[in-house]
Amino acid sequence: MTRFANTLAAAVAAIILLSACKGPVESTQLVVNPDDCTGCGECVEVCPYNAIEVIDGDAVIDPALCHFCYRCVEQCPEGAIN
Amino acid sequence: MKYAALFVIFLLPAFAAAVSFDGWANTRMEGDSLSPQTGRLDLGGLLRGGDWTFIIHERLSHGDSTGIVPRILNTYSRTDADLTIKAGPITVNPDVCWTVDLGDKKPEIVLPLQAGVACREGFIRPGLGIDADITDDIHLFSRGLYWKRDLIQEDDTNLGWTETRISGGATWNSPWGVSLTVAGLTHKAESDLINYESVWNRMDVQFGVRPQSLPPNMFVSGAVTYSIYDGSDFFDHDIADRLTSRVRLVQMFFPAVSVNTTFESVIDFDDGITRNACTSLESRVLYRFMKNRDVPSVVELSGKLSRSSIRTERAGIFSRINIYKGLSLLIDAEARITPTSVAGAGPCRKRYIFGPGLEYQLGTIARIWGIVEQERTNLDRNENWWRMRAGLELYPGAFSF
Repeated sequence: MTRFANTLAAAVAAIILLSACKGPVESTQLVVNPDDCTGCGECVEVCPYNAIEVIDGDAVIDPALCHFCYRCVEQCPEGAIN
Repeated sequence: MKYAALFVIFLLPAFAAAVSFDGWANTRMEGDSLSPQTGRLDLGGLLRGGDWTFIIHERLSHGDSTGIVPRILNTYSRTDADLTIKAGPITVNPDVCWTVDLGDKKPEIVLPLQAGVACREGFIRPGLGIDADITDDIHLFSRGLYWKRDLIQEDDTNLGWTETRISGGATWNSPWGVSLTVAGLTHKAESDLINYESVWNRMDVQFGVRPQSLPPNMFVSGAVTYSIYDGSDFFDHDIADRLTSRVRLVQMFFPAVSVNTTFESVIDFDDGITRNACTSLESRVLYRFMKNRDVPSVVELSGKLSRSSIRTERAGIFSRINIYKGLSLLIDAEARITPTSVAGAGPCRKRYIFGPGLEYQLGTIARIWGIVEQERTNLDRNENWWRMRAGLELYPGAFSF
Protein backbone atom coordinates (compact mmCIF):
# COMPACT_ATOMS: atom_id res chain seq x y z
CA MET A 1 0.00 0.00 0.00
CA THR A 2 2.93 2.31 0.80
CA ARG A 3 4.45 1.56 -2.59
CA PHE A 4 1.15 2.36 -4.25
CA ALA A 5 1.02 5.69 -2.37
CA ASN A 6 4.61 6.51 -3.38
CA THR A 7 3.94 5.74 -7.02
CA LEU A 8 0.72 7.74 -6.95
CA ALA A 9 2.56 10.68 -5.37
CA ALA A 10 5.27 10.52 -8.03
CA ALA A 11 2.64 10.44 -10.79
CA VAL A 12 0.76 13.39 -9.26
CA ALA A 13 4.02 15.35 -8.92
CA ALA A 14 4.80 14.69 -12.58
CA ILE A 15 1.30 15.81 -13.63
CA ILE A 16 1.68 19.03 -11.59
CA LEU A 17 5.05 19.66 -13.21
CA LEU A 18 3.56 19.00 -16.64
CA SER A 19 0.63 21.34 -16.06
CA ALA A 20 2.97 24.00 -14.64
CA CYS A 21 4.66 24.38 -18.03
CA LYS A 22 2.62 27.36 -19.13
CA GLY A 23 3.42 30.18 -21.45
CA PRO A 24 5.18 30.03 -24.79
CA VAL A 25 7.06 26.84 -25.29
CA GLU A 26 9.45 26.60 -28.21
CA SER A 27 11.49 23.76 -29.55
CA THR A 28 14.46 23.90 -31.81
CA GLN A 29 14.38 20.16 -32.37
CA LEU A 30 11.73 17.48 -32.21
CA VAL A 31 12.19 14.86 -29.49
CA VAL A 32 12.14 11.12 -30.18
CA ASN A 33 11.53 8.93 -27.16
CA PRO A 34 13.73 5.86 -27.74
CA ASP A 35 11.62 3.82 -25.29
CA ASP A 36 8.58 4.20 -27.55
CA CYS A 37 10.26 4.13 -30.97
CA THR A 38 10.06 0.72 -32.64
CA GLY A 39 12.18 1.68 -35.66
CA CYS A 40 9.31 0.94 -38.07
CA GLY A 41 10.51 3.69 -40.44
CA GLU A 42 7.12 5.31 -41.14
CA CYS A 43 8.52 8.70 -40.14
CA VAL A 44 11.35 8.24 -42.65
CA GLU A 45 8.81 7.64 -45.39
CA VAL A 46 6.71 10.74 -44.71
CA CYS A 47 9.54 13.21 -44.06
CA PRO A 48 9.70 15.50 -47.12
CA TYR A 49 13.13 16.83 -46.14
CA ASN A 50 15.05 13.56 -45.79
CA ALA A 51 15.73 14.58 -42.20
CA ILE A 52 15.02 11.25 -40.48
CA GLU A 53 16.90 7.99 -40.54
CA VAL A 54 16.56 4.83 -38.49
CA ILE A 55 19.90 4.17 -36.80
CA ASP A 56 20.37 1.20 -34.52
CA GLY A 57 16.61 0.66 -34.32
CA ASP A 58 15.61 4.20 -33.37
CA ALA A 59 14.48 7.16 -35.45
CA VAL A 60 17.11 9.92 -35.48
CA ILE A 61 16.19 13.43 -36.67
CA ASP A 62 18.82 15.63 -38.30
CA PRO A 63 18.42 19.08 -36.69
CA ALA A 64 20.00 20.78 -39.70
CA LEU A 65 17.38 19.42 -42.13
CA CYS A 66 14.19 19.25 -40.03
CA HIS A 67 11.68 21.97 -41.03
CA PHE A 68 9.10 21.27 -38.26
CA CYS A 69 6.36 20.16 -40.64
CA TYR A 70 5.23 17.64 -37.97
CA ARG A 71 4.32 14.97 -40.51
CA CYS A 72 6.41 12.47 -38.54
CA VAL A 73 4.54 13.40 -35.34
CA GLU A 74 1.23 12.83 -37.09
CA GLN A 75 2.31 9.58 -38.70
CA CYS A 76 4.22 7.84 -35.89
CA PRO A 77 2.04 4.87 -34.85
CA GLU A 78 3.58 4.82 -31.37
CA GLY A 79 3.35 8.54 -30.67
CA ALA A 80 7.09 8.51 -30.00
CA ILE A 81 7.86 11.94 -31.51
CA ASN A 82 7.01 15.11 -29.59
CA MET B 1 24.25 -7.45 -56.54
CA LYS B 2 21.68 -6.49 -53.97
CA TYR B 3 21.06 -10.04 -52.89
CA ALA B 4 24.71 -11.03 -52.91
CA ALA B 5 24.67 -10.80 -49.13
CA LEU B 6 22.16 -13.64 -49.05
CA PHE B 7 24.82 -15.95 -50.40
CA VAL B 8 26.98 -15.10 -47.42
CA ILE B 9 24.45 -16.98 -45.30
CA PHE B 10 25.40 -20.11 -47.11
CA LEU B 11 29.13 -19.39 -47.22
CA LEU B 12 29.72 -18.46 -43.62
CA PRO B 13 28.90 -21.88 -42.15
CA ALA B 14 31.81 -23.31 -44.12
CA PHE B 15 34.17 -21.33 -41.89
CA ALA B 16 32.62 -22.27 -38.61
CA ALA B 17 32.39 -25.51 -36.73
CA ALA B 18 29.02 -25.13 -34.99
CA VAL B 19 26.48 -22.74 -36.42
CA SER B 20 22.86 -22.19 -35.51
CA PHE B 21 20.27 -20.58 -37.72
CA ASP B 22 17.10 -18.70 -36.78
CA GLY B 23 14.73 -17.46 -39.43
CA TRP B 24 11.50 -15.50 -39.34
CA ALA B 25 8.90 -14.14 -41.73
CA ASN B 26 6.27 -11.52 -40.95
CA THR B 27 3.71 -10.09 -43.27
CA ARG B 28 0.92 -7.61 -42.66
CA MET B 29 -1.67 -6.12 -44.96
CA GLU B 30 -4.00 -3.17 -44.59
CA GLY B 31 -6.77 -1.77 -46.67
CA ASP B 32 -9.25 1.09 -46.39
CA SER B 33 -11.13 3.44 -48.64
CA LEU B 34 -8.13 5.79 -48.91
CA SER B 35 -5.56 3.20 -49.89
CA PRO B 36 -7.08 -0.20 -50.56
CA GLN B 37 -3.95 -2.26 -50.50
CA THR B 38 -0.89 -1.52 -48.40
CA GLY B 39 1.35 -3.95 -46.63
CA ARG B 40 4.74 -5.04 -45.52
CA LEU B 41 6.78 -8.23 -45.76
CA ASP B 42 9.74 -8.85 -43.46
CA LEU B 43 12.11 -11.77 -43.92
CA GLY B 44 15.00 -12.30 -41.58
CA GLY B 45 17.74 -14.73 -40.71
CA LEU B 46 20.23 -14.96 -37.87
CA LEU B 47 23.35 -17.08 -38.14
CA ARG B 48 25.24 -17.54 -34.89
CA GLY B 49 28.68 -19.06 -34.50
CA GLY B 50 31.06 -19.16 -31.57
CA ASP B 51 32.18 -15.53 -31.55
CA TRP B 52 30.16 -14.06 -34.35
CA THR B 53 26.61 -13.39 -35.45
CA PHE B 54 25.29 -12.45 -38.85
CA ILE B 55 21.82 -10.97 -39.28
CA ILE B 56 20.15 -10.28 -42.58
CA HIS B 57 16.79 -8.54 -42.75
CA GLU B 58 14.87 -7.88 -45.93
CA ARG B 59 11.80 -5.64 -45.93
CA LEU B 60 9.42 -5.02 -48.81
CA SER B 61 6.94 -2.27 -47.99
CA HIS B 62 4.08 -0.66 -49.86
CA GLY B 63 2.62 2.19 -47.84
CA ASP B 64 1.95 5.86 -47.23
CA SER B 65 4.82 8.16 -48.13
CA THR B 66 3.23 11.54 -47.52
CA GLY B 67 1.17 11.49 -44.34
CA ILE B 68 -1.54 13.52 -46.05
CA VAL B 69 -4.96 12.86 -47.57
CA PRO B 70 -5.28 11.73 -50.33
CA ARG B 71 -2.36 9.42 -49.76
CA ILE B 72 0.53 8.88 -52.11
CA LEU B 73 1.84 5.37 -51.81
CA ASN B 74 5.41 4.23 -52.25
CA THR B 75 6.98 0.82 -52.52
CA TYR B 76 10.46 0.27 -51.21
CA SER B 77 12.84 -2.55 -50.50
CA ARG B 78 15.30 -2.39 -47.64
CA THR B 79 18.08 -4.87 -46.98
CA ASP B 80 20.09 -4.83 -43.76
CA ALA B 81 23.12 -7.09 -43.36
CA ASP B 82 24.88 -6.92 -40.01
CA LEU B 83 27.95 -8.90 -38.95
CA THR B 84 29.25 -8.85 -35.37
CA ILE B 85 32.59 -10.41 -34.49
CA LYS B 86 33.84 -10.58 -30.92
CA ALA B 87 37.53 -11.09 -30.25
CA GLY B 88 38.29 -10.89 -26.55
CA PRO B 89 37.33 -7.43 -25.29
CA ILE B 90 36.97 -6.04 -28.83
CA THR B 91 33.74 -6.18 -30.81
CA VAL B 92 33.75 -5.26 -34.49
CA ASN B 93 30.42 -4.63 -36.21
CA PRO B 94 30.40 -3.91 -39.95
CA ASP B 95 26.98 -3.55 -41.55
CA VAL B 96 25.36 -2.33 -44.72
CA CYS B 97 21.87 -1.05 -45.38
CA TRP B 98 20.51 -0.78 -48.90
CA THR B 99 17.18 0.87 -49.71
CA VAL B 100 15.60 1.09 -53.15
CA ASP B 101 12.37 3.02 -53.85
CA LEU B 102 10.43 0.94 -56.33
CA GLY B 103 7.18 2.82 -56.92
CA ASP B 104 6.25 4.48 -60.20
CA LYS B 105 6.03 7.84 -58.47
CA LYS B 106 9.04 8.31 -56.23
CA PRO B 107 8.76 10.31 -52.99
CA GLU B 108 9.56 13.99 -53.43
CA ILE B 109 12.23 15.58 -51.26
CA VAL B 110 12.34 19.34 -50.69
CA LEU B 111 15.97 20.39 -51.09
CA PRO B 112 17.74 22.94 -48.91
CA LEU B 113 18.98 26.31 -50.25
CA GLN B 114 15.66 26.60 -52.13
CA ALA B 115 17.11 24.26 -54.72
CA GLY B 116 13.71 22.86 -55.61
CA VAL B 117 12.47 19.32 -55.39
CA ALA B 118 14.13 16.00 -56.16
CA CYS B 119 12.87 12.43 -56.21
CA ARG B 120 14.20 9.96 -53.69
CA GLU B 121 15.26 6.68 -55.28
CA GLY B 122 17.10 5.02 -52.40
CA PHE B 123 20.46 4.89 -50.69
CA ILE B 124 23.25 2.59 -49.68
CA ARG B 125 24.70 2.98 -46.22
CA PRO B 126 27.77 1.05 -45.08
CA GLY B 127 28.77 1.34 -41.45
CA LEU B 128 31.42 0.15 -39.05
CA GLY B 129 31.25 -0.03 -35.26
CA ILE B 130 34.10 -0.90 -32.94
CA ASP B 131 33.51 -1.41 -29.21
CA ALA B 132 35.94 -2.36 -26.49
CA ASP B 133 35.54 -3.39 -22.85
CA ILE B 134 38.62 -1.89 -21.22
CA THR B 135 37.69 -3.20 -17.80
CA ASP B 136 34.51 -4.65 -16.30
CA ASP B 137 33.28 -1.08 -15.71
CA ILE B 138 34.66 0.92 -18.63
CA HIS B 139 33.29 0.53 -22.13
CA LEU B 140 34.49 2.36 -25.24
CA PHE B 141 32.38 2.64 -28.38
CA SER B 142 32.66 4.17 -31.83
CA ARG B 143 30.61 4.09 -35.01
CA GLY B 144 31.04 5.43 -38.49
CA LEU B 145 28.23 5.63 -41.07
CA TYR B 146 28.26 6.80 -44.68
CA TRP B 147 25.18 7.38 -46.84
CA LYS B 148 25.21 7.65 -50.60
CA ARG B 149 21.72 8.79 -51.54
CA ASP B 150 20.10 8.75 -54.96
CA LEU B 151 18.22 12.05 -55.15
CA ILE B 152 17.25 12.67 -58.75
CA GLN B 153 16.17 16.01 -60.14
CA GLU B 154 13.54 16.45 -62.82
CA ASP B 155 16.19 16.47 -65.57
CA ASP B 156 17.50 13.09 -64.32
CA THR B 157 20.53 14.69 -62.67
CA ASN B 158 21.73 12.88 -59.58
CA LEU B 159 22.49 15.36 -56.79
CA GLY B 160 25.36 13.24 -55.48
CA TRP B 161 24.04 13.64 -51.94
CA THR B 162 26.27 12.03 -49.33
CA GLU B 163 26.25 12.05 -45.54
CA THR B 164 28.88 11.00 -43.03
CA ARG B 165 28.24 10.41 -39.34
CA ILE B 166 31.04 9.56 -36.93
CA SER B 167 30.46 9.04 -33.22
CA GLY B 168 32.35 7.67 -30.27
CA GLY B 169 32.58 7.77 -26.53
CA ALA B 170 33.13 6.01 -23.26
CA THR B 171 30.86 4.73 -20.49
CA TRP B 172 31.83 4.11 -16.89
CA ASN B 173 29.44 1.92 -14.94
CA SER B 174 30.07 2.47 -11.25
CA PRO B 175 29.33 -0.30 -8.78
CA TRP B 176 26.70 1.95 -7.09
CA GLY B 177 24.21 1.92 -9.91
CA VAL B 178 25.42 5.19 -11.44
CA SER B 179 26.89 5.45 -14.92
CA LEU B 180 28.70 8.27 -16.68
CA THR B 181 28.90 8.51 -20.46
CA VAL B 182 30.87 11.03 -22.47
CA ALA B 183 30.28 10.91 -26.22
CA GLY B 184 30.82 12.97 -29.32
CA LEU B 185 29.26 12.98 -32.76
CA THR B 186 29.86 14.78 -36.03
CA HIS B 187 27.46 14.74 -38.97
CA LYS B 188 28.16 16.09 -42.42
CA ALA B 189 25.75 16.31 -45.37
CA GLU B 190 26.81 17.61 -48.76
CA SER B 191 25.77 17.85 -52.35
CA ASP B 192 28.21 19.31 -54.85
CA LEU B 193 25.54 19.91 -57.46
CA ILE B 194 23.64 22.46 -55.36
CA ASN B 195 26.71 23.60 -53.38
CA TYR B 196 25.17 22.41 -50.12
CA GLU B 197 27.30 21.51 -47.15
CA SER B 198 26.09 21.20 -43.59
CA VAL B 199 28.19 20.12 -40.63
CA TRP B 200 26.98 19.88 -37.07
CA ASN B 201 28.66 18.40 -34.03
CA ARG B 202 27.37 17.26 -30.67
CA MET B 203 29.03 16.51 -27.37
CA ASP B 204 27.01 14.55 -24.80
CA VAL B 205 27.59 14.10 -21.09
CA GLN B 206 25.13 11.68 -19.53
CA PHE B 207 24.56 10.59 -15.94
CA GLY B 208 22.49 7.46 -15.58
CA VAL B 209 21.01 6.14 -12.35
CA ARG B 210 19.67 2.68 -11.69
CA PRO B 211 19.21 2.21 -7.94
CA GLN B 212 20.13 -1.25 -6.76
CA SER B 213 18.35 -1.34 -3.42
CA LEU B 214 14.67 -0.81 -4.10
CA PRO B 215 11.54 -2.34 -2.65
CA PRO B 216 10.58 -5.65 -4.24
CA ASN B 217 8.93 -5.51 -7.65
CA MET B 218 10.08 -1.95 -8.26
CA PHE B 219 12.41 -0.80 -11.02
CA VAL B 220 13.58 2.79 -11.42
CA SER B 221 15.98 4.21 -13.98
CA GLY B 222 16.84 7.75 -14.83
CA ALA B 223 19.22 9.63 -17.08
CA VAL B 224 20.21 13.26 -17.44
CA THR B 225 21.98 14.22 -20.66
CA TYR B 226 23.53 17.56 -21.50
CA SER B 227 24.15 17.96 -25.22
CA ILE B 228 26.32 20.75 -26.56
CA TYR B 229 25.64 21.45 -30.23
CA ASP B 230 27.80 23.19 -32.76
CA GLY B 231 26.07 23.87 -36.05
CA SER B 232 23.06 25.51 -37.65
CA ASP B 233 19.48 24.48 -38.33
CA PHE B 234 17.71 25.15 -41.64
CA PHE B 235 16.94 28.76 -40.55
CA ASP B 236 20.73 29.21 -40.23
CA HIS B 237 20.26 29.69 -36.48
CA ASP B 238 22.63 28.03 -34.06
CA ILE B 239 21.27 24.72 -32.78
CA ALA B 240 20.51 25.21 -29.10
CA ASP B 241 22.24 23.20 -26.40
CA ARG B 242 19.86 20.77 -24.74
CA LEU B 243 19.33 19.21 -21.31
CA THR B 244 17.26 16.04 -21.46
CA SER B 245 16.02 14.31 -18.30
CA ARG B 246 14.13 11.07 -18.33
CA VAL B 247 12.85 9.00 -15.40
CA ARG B 248 11.20 5.61 -15.74
CA LEU B 249 9.38 3.79 -12.97
CA VAL B 250 8.08 0.25 -13.24
CA GLN B 251 6.04 -1.06 -10.33
CA MET B 252 4.37 -4.42 -10.02
CA PHE B 253 1.55 -4.13 -7.48
CA PHE B 254 0.26 -7.65 -7.68
CA PRO B 255 1.68 -10.51 -9.71
CA ALA B 256 -0.85 -9.67 -12.41
CA VAL B 257 -0.71 -5.85 -12.51
CA SER B 258 2.24 -3.68 -13.47
CA VAL B 259 2.52 0.06 -14.08
CA ASN B 260 5.19 1.61 -16.28
CA THR B 261 5.51 5.41 -16.05
CA THR B 262 7.95 7.64 -17.92
CA PHE B 263 8.49 11.35 -17.35
CA GLU B 264 10.62 13.39 -19.72
CA SER B 265 11.75 16.99 -19.59
CA VAL B 266 13.77 18.77 -22.27
CA ILE B 267 15.23 22.23 -21.75
CA ASP B 268 17.00 24.23 -24.45
CA PHE B 269 19.71 26.81 -23.84
CA ASP B 270 19.76 29.19 -26.76
CA ASP B 271 22.06 32.24 -26.63
CA GLY B 272 21.43 32.87 -22.95
CA ILE B 273 17.70 32.12 -23.20
CA THR B 274 16.48 29.06 -21.34
CA ARG B 275 13.37 27.44 -22.80
CA ASN B 276 11.24 24.51 -21.81
CA ALA B 277 11.41 22.62 -25.10
CA CYS B 278 9.30 19.60 -24.20
CA THR B 279 7.65 17.96 -21.21
CA SER B 280 5.92 14.63 -21.46
CA LEU B 281 4.34 12.07 -19.19
CA GLU B 282 3.45 8.57 -20.25
CA SER B 283 1.98 5.64 -18.36
CA ARG B 284 1.00 2.07 -19.15
CA VAL B 285 -0.97 -0.28 -16.95
CA LEU B 286 -0.74 -3.96 -17.79
CA TYR B 287 -3.11 -6.60 -16.40
CA ARG B 288 -2.38 -10.24 -17.15
CA PHE B 289 -4.86 -12.97 -16.34
CA MET B 290 -5.82 -16.53 -17.30
CA LYS B 291 -2.11 -17.32 -17.34
CA ASN B 292 -2.63 -21.08 -17.36
CA ARG B 293 -4.24 -21.01 -20.82
CA ASP B 294 -2.33 -21.69 -24.05
CA VAL B 295 -2.19 -17.92 -24.62
CA PRO B 296 -2.27 -15.68 -21.52
CA SER B 297 -4.84 -12.89 -21.64
CA VAL B 298 -3.82 -9.29 -21.23
CA VAL B 299 -5.38 -5.84 -20.97
CA GLU B 300 -3.15 -2.81 -21.50
CA LEU B 301 -4.22 0.76 -20.80
CA SER B 302 -1.90 3.50 -21.97
CA GLY B 303 -1.85 7.27 -21.98
CA LYS B 304 0.58 10.00 -22.92
CA LEU B 305 0.61 13.79 -22.72
CA SER B 306 3.29 15.97 -24.19
CA ARG B 307 3.72 19.71 -24.44
CA SER B 308 6.29 21.45 -26.58
CA SER B 309 5.76 23.91 -29.40
CA ILE B 310 3.11 21.36 -30.30
CA ARG B 311 0.82 19.34 -28.08
CA THR B 312 0.18 15.64 -28.44
CA GLU B 313 -2.21 13.52 -26.43
CA ARG B 314 -2.82 9.83 -26.71
CA ALA B 315 -4.92 7.28 -24.84
CA GLY B 316 -5.39 3.66 -25.78
CA ILE B 317 -6.54 0.24 -24.75
CA PHE B 318 -5.44 -3.08 -26.14
CA SER B 319 -6.75 -6.40 -24.95
CA ARG B 320 -6.22 -10.01 -25.88
CA ILE B 321 -8.79 -12.35 -24.33
CA ASN B 322 -8.10 -16.03 -24.85
CA ILE B 323 -11.21 -17.91 -25.98
CA TYR B 324 -10.15 -21.45 -26.77
CA LYS B 325 -6.66 -22.96 -27.12
CA GLY B 326 -4.70 -20.57 -29.37
CA LEU B 327 -7.71 -18.49 -30.39
CA SER B 328 -8.06 -15.04 -28.82
CA LEU B 329 -10.33 -12.05 -29.16
CA LEU B 330 -8.54 -8.74 -29.79
CA ILE B 331 -9.89 -5.30 -28.97
CA ASP B 332 -7.95 -2.21 -29.95
CA ALA B 333 -9.02 1.38 -29.28
CA GLU B 334 -7.06 4.61 -29.48
CA ALA B 335 -7.70 8.34 -29.22
CA ARG B 336 -5.01 10.77 -30.39
CA ILE B 337 -4.49 14.49 -30.85
CA THR B 338 -1.54 15.53 -32.99
CA PRO B 339 -0.70 18.49 -35.17
CA THR B 340 -1.47 17.90 -38.81
CA SER B 341 -0.04 19.02 -42.13
CA VAL B 342 -3.29 18.39 -44.00
CA ALA B 343 -4.43 21.61 -45.66
CA GLY B 344 -7.68 23.01 -44.28
CA ALA B 345 -7.86 20.53 -41.41
CA GLY B 346 -6.97 23.02 -38.70
CA PRO B 347 -3.99 22.92 -36.38
CA CYS B 348 -4.93 19.66 -34.65
CA ARG B 349 -6.03 16.31 -35.85
CA LYS B 350 -8.25 14.31 -33.52
CA ARG B 351 -8.43 10.62 -34.24
CA TYR B 352 -10.54 7.94 -32.64
CA ILE B 353 -9.90 4.35 -33.66
CA PHE B 354 -11.78 1.29 -32.47
CA GLY B 355 -11.76 -2.25 -33.71
CA PRO B 356 -12.30 -5.85 -32.70
CA GLY B 357 -10.30 -8.71 -34.13
CA LEU B 358 -9.29 -12.32 -33.84
CA GLU B 359 -5.91 -13.94 -33.38
CA TYR B 360 -4.69 -17.52 -33.53
CA GLN B 361 -1.33 -18.56 -32.12
CA LEU B 362 0.16 -21.93 -32.97
CA GLY B 363 2.58 -22.24 -30.07
CA THR B 364 5.59 -20.08 -30.85
CA ILE B 365 5.70 -21.16 -34.49
CA ALA B 366 2.96 -19.04 -36.05
CA ARG B 367 0.58 -16.21 -35.28
CA ILE B 368 -2.21 -15.06 -37.55
CA TRP B 369 -4.44 -12.12 -36.76
CA GLY B 370 -7.00 -9.80 -38.26
CA ILE B 371 -8.68 -6.60 -37.05
CA VAL B 372 -11.51 -4.56 -38.51
CA GLU B 373 -11.21 -0.95 -37.39
CA GLN B 374 -13.21 2.19 -37.71
CA GLU B 375 -11.37 5.51 -37.67
CA ARG B 376 -13.02 8.85 -37.12
CA THR B 377 -10.90 11.89 -37.73
CA ASN B 378 -11.62 15.61 -37.95
CA LEU B 379 -10.03 16.13 -41.34
CA ASP B 380 -12.11 17.98 -43.91
CA ARG B 381 -12.59 14.85 -45.97
CA ASN B 382 -12.94 11.18 -45.10
CA GLU B 383 -14.15 11.80 -41.60
CA ASN B 384 -15.04 8.17 -41.05
CA TRP B 385 -13.59 5.12 -42.66
CA TRP B 386 -13.27 1.41 -42.11
CA ARG B 387 -9.97 -0.34 -42.27
CA MET B 388 -9.03 -4.01 -42.31
CA ARG B 389 -5.67 -5.14 -41.00
CA ALA B 390 -4.32 -8.66 -41.02
CA GLY B 391 -0.99 -10.30 -40.45
CA LEU B 392 0.88 -13.59 -40.41
CA GLU B 393 4.05 -14.16 -38.39
CA LEU B 394 6.14 -17.30 -38.78
CA TYR B 395 9.02 -18.39 -36.58
CA PRO B 396 9.98 -21.97 -37.37
CA GLY B 397 12.63 -22.03 -34.62
CA ALA B 398 16.38 -22.46 -34.47
CA PHE B 399 18.38 -25.38 -35.79
CA SER B 400 22.09 -26.18 -35.75
CA PHE B 401 24.27 -27.61 -38.46
